[in-house]
Amino acid sequence: MLALRLSLGSHPAVQLRRFLVAAASAGTGFLLLSALGHALAHPDPSVSALRLAWCAAPLAATVYFAVAVARTDPGTRPRPGLSAVGLGPARLMAISAVTTAVSCLLGSALALLVFLGLRGDLAAVPFDGAGTDFLAAGRPLPLPAALTLLALVPLSASAAVATALRPREPVTGAPRVPRVHGRFGAYRRTPVRESFGAYGRFGRQFGPSARGRRTAAAPEQEGAAEGAEGAAESAGVPPAAARTTPSGLPWGITVLAVGLAVEAFASRPGPGAPVDRPAVLLGLALACVGLALAGPGLTHLCGRLLQTIRPGTLRLLAGRVLMTEATRLGRPLGVVCAVMSAAYAMASLHEREDTSSAPLVALGVLLVAGCTVATLLTAAVESRQARAETTAALRRLGAPAVTLRRAAALRAGVLLALFGPLSLVVAELSAWPLTG
Amino acid sequence: MVAPPDNDVLWARALHFRHDDGSPGLSGVSLGVREGEILAVGGPRGSGKTTLLRCLSGLLPAKSGEVWFNSVPVHTMTPVARERLRRERFGWIDPAPLLVAELNVWENAALPLMLRGTGRRRAKTAALEWLERLDIGDTARRHPEELTHAERQRVCIARALAPAPSVLFADEPTAPLHRIDRAHVLRTLTTAARSHGITVVLATHDAQTAALADRTVSLLDGRRVHTLHLPPLPGTAETEGLAACSLSV
Repeated sequence: MLALRLSLGSHPAVQLRRFLVAAASAGTGFLLLSALGHALAHPDPSVSALRLAWCAAPLAATVYFAVAVARTDPGTRPRPGLSAVGLGPARLMAISAVTTAVSCLLGSALALLVFLGLRGDLAAVPFDGAGTDFLAAGRPLPLPAALTLLALVPLSASAAVATALRPREPVTGAPRVPRVHGRFGAYRRTPVRESFGAYGRFGRQFGPSARGRRTAAAPEQEGAAEGAEGAAESAGVPPAAARTTPSGLPWGITVLAVGLAVEAFASRPGPGAPVDRPAVLLGLALACVGLALAGPGLTHLCGRLLQTIRPGTLRLLAGRVLMTEATRLGRPLGVVCAVMSAAYAMASLHEREDTSSAPLVALGVLLVAGCTVATLLTAAVESRQARAETTAALRRLGAPAVTLRRAAALRAGVLLALFGPLSLVVAELSAWPLTG
Repeated sequence: MVAPPDNDVLWARALHFRHDDGSPGLSGVSLGVREGEILAVGGPRGSGKTTLLRCLSGLLPAKSGEVWFNSVPVHTMTPVARERLRRERFGWIDPAPLLVAELNVWENAALPLMLRGTGRRRAKTAALEWLERLDIGDTARRHPEELTHAERQRVCIARALAPAPSVLFADEPTAPLHRIDRAHVLRTLTTAARSHGITVVLATHDAQTAALADRTVSLLDGRRVHTLHLPPLPGTAETEGLAACSLSV
């Protein structure tokens, strides 16, 4: 009940995001139902199983989008006031899972209605047109099977949301700088390794760190308590991104290269069209996974390049923010690139078409592309929410809004300039062995 | 319209402000801030100190009343002009150190200078000088989350002082600190302001903090008052109050 109240009383933009989740869920549910209808109409189970397997891509995209929307939902974020009355992170996790389930269930119900309507179970006249054998119009629909398939999206989305938003205790009291007492400088913390003679080396003790030696040691003790307070204060916004370099870039490039190599190896001239071999699809999938893995690293690299060599305010703000938000923005961006290049590769080699499944393929492609792009936009919203306080502080300093807007535009432009050609190149490379 | 006195750098007359939800903020506050002085705005929580500072610095437009800065009317300025005034002439210190987490300490301190269009090298030099003066020069290359709260607050002070503002607004700069850190932060702030002739408007609810200032203006419920001594509660025994608050009476 509280979940419903919280979801009804929220901002129109939030409702729009939830509505989009419901729409994606409806599309996926319709695809699943049409796989069922195909299985009813055709005796051969292998083709229907293949169709059902292809539904995994829209399902994954829908779940991914639902998780991104649940992350940005301001209604289910930990709030100090609610936490004080006992509605802590655990209950809020349950609430966001329920909210996600409700919107996905709405979508599933819509899908069922549309499917039944097209079959002619609700209206007297079934939808009549080319390629409607997936509706299995003449046969009775097994209701348990349909409901099981329709429950797939809400259940998996809720489970994914609950896993993604499970309450995690912030590690308080852990020292931020590893405390290592060197062997020589007994009163100074030296996180770097001290080798023999390192202390007495000439010039070592003249630097600024040596000068601040006496003052730096005292106020460190309160750090943990202040950090805990800060965490409690900023509970209303998404957690700030950790300032670490994402490590996926080498792996991403490796997997991408392996995928392209597998594809090229599998599409040697031989019997049968190269498109039908599973190894080719495996290669394409590996290339996509590699692109998605490399996304955060590439975003971080963009930010790093943007802020090198004497940056002014604009480049500094744009680049550093990109470096910090690399994981949050880079992963959906990599996924979008992967989907785009896969769609490009698939489109360039699909001349052979059975017209019966063309609308369903179009619906699936639209779903996957729409969900990934919407996830990317939602991630941008989340990053903006996380940085709202900093932006307010900058505005209080008198930073002109034009500068902040220009920094955001610069970020978007740089990302587009890197990822657009990159996904085109990958798409061309993955389509090349198939068409040649 | 009364012309403001010449020796006041900041001058406000009959400021009225009402928050968006209708709760009263300020009702008729007038004050003048002389050049180079440290003015403490005292009063308990909720007395309108922060609102007054925001109105004076042009962050909030007052509903009625006048604010003059160096014989320039602030209350008639457009938002863009006020933003520019804040950038070029004013400094602001928050109660909590809100630093840009992506930038390191010296970049944070140099940010207002760079926003004004100063070159990177000069901004860096000025920022490093101020960080050295505030005893945090050795943390210049670290990131804000590696520092303690008091150190971050000092970085905020360096950030506010580095562009040499005409007026520095400090809104309870020491509220979340322990007393040792509080004294240190305040001493550095007041010393720096006095030695560089920066006018400071310091909001505080602490009498000890207000004692460091040249002059104190007290607010109570959005009005300027001359004494802050509230009438004592009748009777001294706690049990009486307890009985009055008890539900069983």
